[in-house]
Amino acid sequence: MLEASALTLSYDGRPVIEALDLSLPGDKVTAIIGPNGCGKSTLLKALARILPVNAGRITLDGEDMGELAPRALARRLAILPQSPRAPEGIRVADLVRRGRLPWRGLLSPWREEDRAACAGALAAVGMAELAKRDLAELSGGQRQRAWLALVLAQGTRWLLLDEPTTYLDLTHQMEVLGLLRRLNRQSGTAVVSVLHDLNLAARYSDHLVLLANGGLVAAGAPEAVLTPANLLEAFGLQAQVMPDPVTGTPMVVPLDTADRKVSA
Amino acid sequence: MRGVALLVLLLALATVAALLRGQIDAPPAILWQGLVTGDGPGALILDTIRGPRVATALGVGAVLGLSGTIFQTLFRNPLAAPDLLGFNAGAGLALIAGIAFGIALPAPVLAALGGLAVAVIVGALAYRRGSGTPALTIILVGLGTGFTATALATFLMTLLPGTAAAEAQRWLTGSLAARNWGHAAQVWGAGMALTILAFSQARALMAMELGGELATGLGVRAEPARWRISGIGVLLAAAGVAVAGPVPFVALMAGPFGARMTGARSPAARMAAGAAAGALIVVLADLLARSALPGLQLPVGVATGLLGAPYLLWRLSREMDKGDL
Repeated sequence: MLEASALTLSYDGRPVIEALDLSLPGDKVTAIIGPNGCGKSTLLKALARILPVNAGRITLDGEDMGELAPRALARRLAILPQSPRAPEGIRVADLVRRGRLPWRGLLSPWREEDRAACAGALAAVGMAELAKRDLAELSGGQRQRAWLALVLAQGTRWLLLDEPTTYLDLTHQMEVLGLLRRLNRQSGTAVVSVLHDLNLAARYSDHLVLLANGGLVAAGAPEAVLTPANLLEAFGLQAQVMPDPVTGTPMVVPLDTADRKVSA
Repeated sequence: MRGVALLVLLLALATVAALLRGQIDAPPAILWQGLVTGDGPGALILDTIRGPRVATALGVGAVLGLSGTIFQTLFRNPLAAPDLLGFNAGAGLALIAGIAFGIALPAPVLAALGGLAVAVIVGALAYRRGSGTPALTIILVGLGTGFTATALATFLMTLLPGTAAAEAQRWLTGSLAARNWGHAAQVWGAGMALTILAFSQARALMAMELGGELATGLGVRAEPARWRISGIGVLLAAAGVAVAGPVPFVALMAGPFGARMTGARSPAARMAAGAAAGALIVVLADLLARSALPGLQLPVGVATGLLGAPYLLWRLSREMDKGDL
């Protein structure tokens, strides 16, 4: 469990999250959703200790996160920031190897477990064949999978991702989200992503967290969170919610003003 | 691997050439005789005239090259070098101030204090709450601060008596004239110690190169790491400036040149390549400066300036093409 209690966060000196209580399941795929500026990314960064906590506390599997040593935390929880920038001319394999940094000392040799972790991560994202290529030569989807392999090689039980589907077309968005869910099902990794697309979030997540105005609107199963009332409260959006004809997960159909007149 | 061998070979050839050539060319036989017997004109050249000068040049180039590579890796920007960031100018100003006001501190200490002071000023001016500062902001603030330091140094120079002012002017350009074994020992001693410190940060640099947020996720405290690594970089540059003055553009060129030549990828490999490339650049530039024009010994800074200015323009145009400027 990744738990926040009475959590208050600010960004650039302005409060973004206020007195938030939240509990994220340790065995599921979670998506954090909400309108722009609602504090989704800020919350995720605080959960990975990239941003300091102003008040309240965060516990990771029962331990106060503030008391974990940086490296101890990095062995349990990995974060992939939004659109990370790679060093010029780096190869996929070299990028992925850096995911082993928390496990290695300055002079420790490259061990079998490090090699296995990198090979496993590359295989999991289907990039084994592209390992020798320059990252810059790859397509956007392939690059994103290479970054995913880096955090997978970190070998953590928790994986946090800030908008892992930005700048990807729909096919690659589904590919990345499907990969994360498979990872959860196969190795029990707890996945927490900030996502923009509500329908994709509902389709690929077990647990949704809906934020608005620095507070929690709803959290729970997609069916319980994506209701017309919650959408209205969080986004100010009139919408109908119906089961997705393929997966049965909730599907949001927004209504604009004209539609509303018709339906009324 | 072939690139590494080539770089080492070039460095060795440049060193030998720098010992052989000058206002008076010394045939290899005479140098050899001097080396073996410790006597004659060859020994004079090796011991007093060119030996210490070349040794100093190698050390100065290595520390400047290493410093540049560290900053370029840390800020993920090929323009981030201690010369453009103003640290060299700060070290130079402190040394001129030391002469002008008769401050009785050893040159390396003065240079280090000046470089660190500028680093703190640049860091404070460029600091932005919360979000990380873009590298370009730091570079621009560094350029401005560096110009200010250079202007102040020029002003202080006018307060000096004529001969001292001429010497200071020459020195501010970056000069290796009349360096003795004391200078060489100084830059090599400080350089060795700082190099060990620098390589101890290779792991942190590997993480920081991916950006502060990902570095934090990989278990490296980003903010302390940034200051720690910057501090080592400033001290390395100051060690070079203390014996040769703020030789321009070496730190800027060495990293990319070394990496291109050797194909080095990891930060540690690039640091080693950058140090070797810096040494090569300074030895060759000094050789050029003192032997290109008969009867005229130019300061080494003039030669690195002539090499570096076109490089900077080329680099700027490339950054503009990439959309980073």
